[in-house]
Amino acid sequence: MATRDGDAMIEVEGVEKWFGRFQALKGITTRVGRGEVVVVLGPSGSGKSTFIRCINRLERHDRGRIVVDGIELTDDIRDIEQVRSEIGMVFQSFNLFPHLTVLQNITLAPRNVRRTPKGEAEAKAIELLERVGIPEQALKYPAQPSGGQQQRVAIARALAMEPKIMLFDEPTSALDPEMIKEVLDVMAELARSGMTMIVVTHEIGFAKAAADRVLFFDEGQLVEESTPDRFFREPENERSKRFLSQILL
Amino acid sequence: MIGPPEGSPRVVLAGGDERAVAIAPAAVPLTPAESLRQNLFSSWWNGALTIGAGLLVGYLGQALLRWALVTADWDVVAANLRLFMIGRFPVAEAWRIWAATYLIAVLAGASWAASGARLRWTPSLIALRAIAAAATLAFLLFLLDGLRIWVLLVGLGAAVGLGVAIGRAGARRLVRPLLIGWAASFPVVIVLLVGFGGVPPQRWGGLVLNLLVAVVGIFASFPVGILLALGRRSALPAIQLASVGLIEFVRGAPLYIWLLFGEFVLPFMLPAGLDLPRIVRAMIVVTLFSSAYVAEIVRGGLQGVHHGQYEAGRALGLSTTRLMGLVVLPQALRNTIPALIGHFISLFKDTSLLAVIGFIDALRIARISPQGVFQGDLKQTLLFAALLFWIVAFSMSRWSQRLERRLGVGER
Repeated sequence: MATRDGDAMIEVEGVEKWFGRFQALKGITTRVGRGEVVVVLGPSGSGKSTFIRCINRLERHDRGRIVVDGIELTDDIRDIEQVRSEIGMVFQSFNLFPHLTVLQNITLAPRNVRRTPKGEAEAKAIELLERVGIPEQALKYPAQPSGGQQQRVAIARALAMEPKIMLFDEPTSALDPEMIKEVLDVMAELARSGMTMIVVTHEIGFAKAAADRVLFFDEGQLVEESTPDRFFREPENERSKRFLSQILL
Repeated sequence: MIGPPEGSPRVVLAGGDERAVAIAPAAVPLTPAESLRQNLFSSWWNGALTIGAGLLVGYLGQALLRWALVTADWDVVAANLRLFMIGRFPVAEAWRIWAATYLIAVLAGASWAASGARLRWTPSLIALRAIAAAATLAFLLFLLDGLRIWVLLVGLGAAVGLGVAIGRAGARRLVRPLLIGWAASFPVVIVLLVGFGGVPPQRWGGLVLNLLVAVVGIFASFPVGILLALGRRSALPAIQLASVGLIEFVRGAPLYIWLLFGEFVLPFMLPAGLDLPRIVRAMIVVTLFSSAYVAEIVRGGLQGVHHGQYEAGRALGLSTTRLMGLVVLPQALRNTIPALIGHFISLFKDTSLLAVIGFIDALRIARISPQGVFQGDLKQTLLFAALLFWIVAFSMSRWSQRLERRLGVGER
């Protein structure tokens, strides 16, 4: 265990979160190792999105400890910005900046946070667009490409900061069915490349193929933690079983 | 801002090239007669409306024209033209205003051309411009007296032409120098007017006064208004309360009252020894008044920016300042351009209220000039003042439309 401790990228200990009187997270404890791919499953409202949004502090946790790559998340804004620049995040609704071209979307943070020179940042951006398979979209505005292409731009934008961790918050839920695969392919390639990833998704196929571990959330609790193999074949928890029987109909 | 960023890597466009592009069948052009029938006489009711409205417009138009061209005596306007434009600015120093105007003309011409704008010459546009040019020329011939003013006006045209030539030659490379030029133009103009034995602001007047106060009000209230809007949304209660308080307090009373306040009450509130000139106090009042409205317009724009934009910016590690400056405000402001320009046009017209605290602005000239040496009718002078305000307001409105098109408001 000692070696795994030293290699933990994210440590979460007894994290609780309230929205007013509603408790969204109830004592979540887990850790994510370097290079590990974790898929978070659970019914809607189970707290899985809130959980990953706490990791880059888009939500502030009310109790417990979150340590990302050795930095504990506190109210210190400098620490938070430091942590955020090392965590890439991909949203369900893409959240590209509509007033900037695809290229400018990708180079914005490297140029303004990392102070990367313009030429270097743009060369890197083109490289990333090639990696996600859409270099021809560089000079367009985000509203023009298809949904799947927009989400791949969002992935490239997150990767441009050379993050150590990537968070995906239901990245394919807003996509038309025929575009889901192109995004999942990019994510699978990313997983193979050794990126540490936490993915909230309903794509069981992706979980089976790419995940090292599955976390199952229900009503704000981390109910079951298992390998994808075990989880999908023989879930231990009653609630996991019910969830799987509902989505695998 | 628009188009490919300078020096960006070349990108090969792929896909779609080989595919044949299907084009929707072109609409069959209508003959003038068909177009008339479809648009104006499609039903008996529509036809009646067309004829009725036509008669009304025709009657009012001919009445106005007959009055303006036959009945009215415009000598009072021609005789007071200088007063209308520059008030009691000393004649011997009028070159300062001309110099400032020439400077602005060169900048405007260069900016227009550098943005890639070109005049389009379709037959209808040519006709429209010819009519406008002829009317303007006739109007000026009637109004202007003496060779000097004509030489100066031709010079003004040449200054615009020089600007256009510079703008064409420099094109997009000039964007930054021009921005700096515009930023520097205001202090330069002030120095031109006041500096080296110039004319103190107390003696500014006429349309120049309206323009100067409006320009100060617009450019100062824009940043102040943005700060107030951000302050109103601040998480810090003290800042929020102060912003809301200032906005609601200022908006609660008419500009008229605030101008009187600045004239008579403000001097007692300022620390002893700080004796601000009247015109500066008026400018402060106009700026604060405008800021409150700008703040509310910008707040509306900020509300239109989706919260996902904030989250995406924060997730990338942008600080709050950069998040606002690079992501949120550009989107918020773009959406508020129509409302903002509308407000600024109305602010420009509101500068005519300067007359209530004794400034001799263009409207005040219109009210007092018929009582001067050249006895005349208030109708003509008021109409002429209205024309002056209309020319400026209409120019601002056209410029706003151009800006909207260039920034693609309502498209992306």
